Amino acid sequence: MAWGKRLCLLAAVLAAGMMATPLARAQDQAPDHQLHGQDGDDAVARGEYMARVADCGACHTVPGGAPFAGGMAFHLPTGTLYAPNITPDRQTGIGRYSEAEFSRALRRGIRRDGATLYPAMPYPSYARLTDADVHVLYVYFMQGVKPVTHAVAQDGMVWPMSMRWPLSIWRTLYAPDPEAVRRDMDRRTFADPLVARGSYLVEGPGHCGACHTPRALTMQEKALTAADGPLYLSGGDVVDGWRPVSLRGENRTGLGRWNEHDIVRFLATGRMPLGAAFGGMADAIGHGTQHMTDDDRLAIARYLKTLSPAAPMVAQGWTYDPAVTDALRAGDVSARGARAYVDRCAACHRTDGRGYPTTFPPLAGNPVVMDPRPDSLIRIVLEGNILRATRQAPSAFVMPGFAARMDDRAVADTVTFIRAAWGNDAPAVTGVDVARIRRTLSPGHPPASLPMN
Amino acid sequence: MQGLAGAAACSTVLAALPARSSPPASYAPRFFTPAEWAFLVAACDRLIPADENGPGALALDVPRFIDMQMDTPYAHGAQWYMQAPFVPGPDNLGYQLPHAPRDLYRRGIAGMDAHAATRHGRPFAGLAPALQDDLLRGAENGGMTFGDLPSTAFFDQLLANVMEGAFSDPVHGGNTGLGGWIMLGFPGARADFMDWVDRYGAHYPLGSVSISGETA
Amino acid sequence: MSDDARRLRAVDVVIVGGGWAGSIMAKEMTEAGRSVVMLERGPDRSTAADGAYPASIDELEANFRYKLFQDLSKNTVTIRNNSRQTALPYRRMAAFLPGEGVGGAGLHWSGVHFRIPPDDLRLRTRVIEKYGAKFIPEGMNLQDYGVSYEELEPFFDKAEKVFGTSGEAYMVKGQVVGKGNVFSPSRSDHFPLPALKDVYTAHLFRKAAAEVGFHPYSLPAANASRQYINPYGVQMGPCNFCGYCSGYACYMYSKASPNVNILPVLRRHPLFELRAGCHVMKVELDAEGRRATGVTYTDPDGAVVTQPAEMVILTAFQFHNVRLMLLSGIGRPYDPARNEGVVGRNFVYQNVTTSNVWLDRGIDTNQYIGAGGGGVAFDDFNSENFDHGPLGFVGGSPVWVNQAGVKAIAAAHSGGPPGTPRWGSAWKAGVIDTYRHSLRIDAHGANMAYRDVYLDLDPTWKDAYGQPLLRMTFDWKDNDIRMNRYVVDRIGDVAKAMGARRVNLTKREFGRPFDTRQYQTTHLGGGAVMGTDPGTSALNRYLQSWDVHNVFVIGANAFPQGTGYNPTGMVAALAYWAAHHIRTTYLAHPGPLAG
Repeated sequence: MAWGKRLCLLAAVLAAGMMATPLARAQDQAPDHQLHGQDGDDAVARGEYMARVADCGACHTVPGGAPFAGGMAFHLPTGTLYAPNITPDRQTGIGRYSEAEFSRALRRGIRRDGATLYPAMPYPSYARLTDADVHVLYVYFMQGVKPVTHAVAQDGMVWPMSMRWPLSIWRTLYAPDPEAVRRDMDRRTFADPLVARGSYLVEGPGHCGACHTPRALTMQEKALTAADGPLYLSGGDVVDGWRPVSLRGENRTGLGRWNEHDIVRFLATGRMPLGAAFGGMADAIGHGTQHMTDDDRLAIARYLKTLSPAAPMVAQGWTYDPAVTDALRAGDVSARGARAYVDRCAACHRTDGRGYPTTFPPLAGNPVVMDPRPDSLIRIVLEGNILRATRQAPSAFVMPGFAARMDDRAVADTVTFIRAAWGNDAPAVTGVDVARIRRTLSPGHPPASLPMN
Repeated sequence: MQGLAGAAACSTVLAALPARSSPPASYAPRFFTPAEWAFLVAACDRLIPADENGPGALALDVPRFIDMQMDTPYAHGAQWYMQAPFVPGPDNLGYQLPHAPRDLYRRGIAGMDAHAATRHGRPFAGLAPALQDDLLRGAENGGMTFGDLPSTAFFDQLLANVMEGAFSDPVHGGNTGLGGWIMLGFPGARADFMDWVDRYGAHYPLGSVSISGETA
Repeated sequence: MSDDARRLRAVDVVIVGGGWAGSIMAKEMTEAGRSVVMLERGPDRSTAADGAYPASIDELEANFRYKLFQDLSKNTVTIRNNSRQTALPYRRMAAFLPGEGVGGAGLHWSGVHFRIPPDDLRLRTRVIEKYGAKFIPEGMNLQDYGVSYEELEPFFDKAEKVFGTSGEAYMVKGQVVGKGNVFSPSRSDHFPLPALKDVYTAHLFRKAAAEVGFHPYSLPAANASRQYINPYGVQMGPCNFCGYCSGYACYMYSKASPNVNILPVLRRHPLFELRAGCHVMKVELDAEGRRATGVTYTDPDGAVVTQPAEMVILTAFQFHNVRLMLLSGIGRPYDPARNEGVVGRNFVYQNVTTSNVWLDRGIDTNQYIGAGGGGVAFDDFNSENFDHGPLGFVGGSPVWVNQAGVKAIAAAHSGGPPGTPRWGSAWKAGVIDTYRHSLRIDAHGANMAYRDVYLDLDPTWKDAYGQPLLRMTFDWKDNDIRMNRYVVDRIGDVAKAMGARRVNLTKREFGRPFDTRQYQTTHLGGGAVMGTDPGTSALNRYLQSWDVHNVFVIGANAFPQGTGYNPTGMVAALAYWAAHHIRTTYLAHPGPLAG
């Protein structure tokens, strides 16, 4: 998960504004390793499934490292934060956690020693986890995960950013109380049990809103559930350079033209006829949704399709406009950006913008392309992207990055061209936009390890 | 651009140096000595002269391409089987000399200049174009040997690299301005003809593009 | 050597060579629940890395610096035209271009994907039936494969579905279903994808060939005419006729390769391990030499390692398989003086010449547009599709326009029409005219096997590991030259019907020896052939060594003589055929497969 800048902002806000007494630390008590009841392998398996649904591995497993041994770094200008080891190792992991302590960390964001967890840990969403799911997760992490002795560097941030006490204030103000959440959940009714399941998965363990819901200045998500109003999942702030799009029903920029089957397929394979996964969503699919059952993916899809557009429709719904296609096919590349598009992009995305889905995604009508914020589109052009292999789709595909071959002007022209062609109607981008994003390209691009097909 | 000056130059031995363009003065060869470079420039200018059909090897910076290639594993013979013994055999069994491309250039250019000096009293680069052509034809047809090096081995190496320099992607230092591709009508690195494959008889209208995105 | 080698833990199957044959066999053996180690001496490769767009669209690196090909500095062959000569090393890439690295030449081949003509599988029998035994020229080792088209058909079908092959069928289940090759046998199913579109030159050729009375058809191509998902679940993009096939990893993921079509699944399989950079030097045999115990190889650090295995499958390139058998003492080496012994016997090449046709200057032939496997062919003079009686030669040749994309450096080298200088202003004018307005037509002929054409170990030159190079003794024979000349004259007929402004018919010349300096084709075959007689074949009809039953040898080395078609489709089908019999019979009852 991409949390760097968000945490930095949060830390700045907190350090600047809040002064209060540190909370008393919880009593250090003997860990309770005895699990209740006869859980057996089934609970381990269900816990493993929930760990995938909750996408724990995305942060707590370093690529190529031991599962859940932690160490994923969040680089902040103020220091580096590392995801902790959550294997049952007693010294360096969570082996001393009782189930109650585990539950408190998960749902309330309170560490065993009483300190508050950075909200990179999505406890505002995990607050919705049922007792049963928390239990199987605990069983899984205690019995199904191999203990690994791996001391993760503690928050290497320097004072005052290293202080955790302001976090507890934030937590108190903005993280929901699990008891209240439960009452809310009980009050909401769903005609379709699949939608009910979907709401649980999306709002709870799936923590989709952590990326896809906009945040307030104080960094809390502006809505935590569908019941909180149309800001929920209406598109989030840029995370690690990628702008999470709206998952609501907007025709051009949301999921308005995706049907249930499209969403199910996307969650399973990262690819469907209208688009392909990139950025943080590739991680979410890789660690999480590709491992879900078809029923759960369908539940998510059906639930998402109940979310109305965030704003009343201002523009016409997207329809394909062949004017640009006709010009390019006639060899007319006089439009600004058209020549570069034909030279660099059209081989895969075609002069008609329809691409070759699901191998190479379409640009015509693609919500990412029409997003008001062009960050993702510009970033993909600059650094390329990998459509990763999944269990159901073992083929990975790579788009090359053009940072070294196109200057800011050329990228801006090309992206502007794409955003206005084939019925797309997004505003132009400038060389300044491109320069801003170029400055943030990670040194790791192009990726050191490419898919081997 | 040289234009037709070379072809029109008088063919006596002592003709004034023919008017010809040089590669950009800014390029300083790293492998070739000044004398070798003079040969290379002159020979390239004859092998692909500028004319009404398009630019010549000098405008395309072919000498620069060859000099840059000399720094690659290929030029050191790293891609060839170079284990002894080296036994001469019939031509059709292929190249059997111990020389990598760098050696072929060193020996070949020295040999060509020596022949030019013996016959005409000047190094190759100082000769009139017609005489240069005669010498190149002689090398091509095997009329000379340079020590253990048949002139054909050198000439074939040179001609192959000249063609590469004129028509490869500019990323390698030649084909400046995509001039070689424009001359042939080759679109370059776009590598997509989905819209054109079955438009029978239509003229393909799009200009060339290189790997780096240079267009023409 | 092997005594000092580090011994690894045994596996069920070790596979030598990571190309098509190796990947197919590895897939099949893991499906059968066997642990597999695949050893590839070249580097690991992928489309993402080696086919990155647009950096990989680099003709110099791909076709003139041989980025993806065999490293000749380490290992090559020696060649001579006859046994009186001293064979000399093939020091630079020219006549043929073997691949190296994971995917083998399958990563950077063109994609022409044929089924072998049924008559070719029983050519000796067929020739004798039709023309009598005396028709076979003196010294020609004409043989049958020992396997029939009907037996192989399910495996041709399977290979086409794995490769995502584009083509148009003529006959399916005995019913004429389309405008495919009228000479092709009935199929159990259609091609998985429709035929590729014709490029302009192929379109003109199709029209002209039909006018002359021949039977043109679309070349079957493992270049996907649409997006495709194969039975393994892997996905291909569509071919966009970019013209960068041969020598390139396909950036569109549309040309079938082991890397795109099989390895994505194989690499995830827990029973599969790929080791790149491992050069196998020897198959280890037990004391009696009747059973393989594993292989010994040099790893990327130069350490010598022995990998024990229950079964060894050789899937390297044709001549590497033969060499490894010779180095390991598997099967009796061939003795040309007595025409006895089997390893090295019946080495064959392919008899290809390319003719040129110049059209009116108002016609742009756009030779840069193309797909490696695409084009139009006619088979009227291939295999036993025509009466050889009055012609007096064995073998035949399909004729085609297979415009795979002619690029600028290659065009410059090809030059202008015959008689044009190789340089200077006349060359320029000629090359421009030729590139813009001409097309190429190939006679892609068979090459028959002869008793004095063979492979053995060279007495002088060694590879980088100190082992003798393989020696090729090869030349063109009158039978094959006559065949080529006859078929190329038919190209003349078609060129005329195309309204050619000028034609250059390229024919093989009597007395002109095989020339290693000119690229011809990388379709080498034979040397460890399959058959039903251990006296004339190194492998039985299941591609199992007659002598060492737990060694299978998969590749074009198994072809008893050449065919007019490209070999990959046949190699893939033979791999699936052998795998089927290993899975259904051999694994339960290891030993010589009978019948």
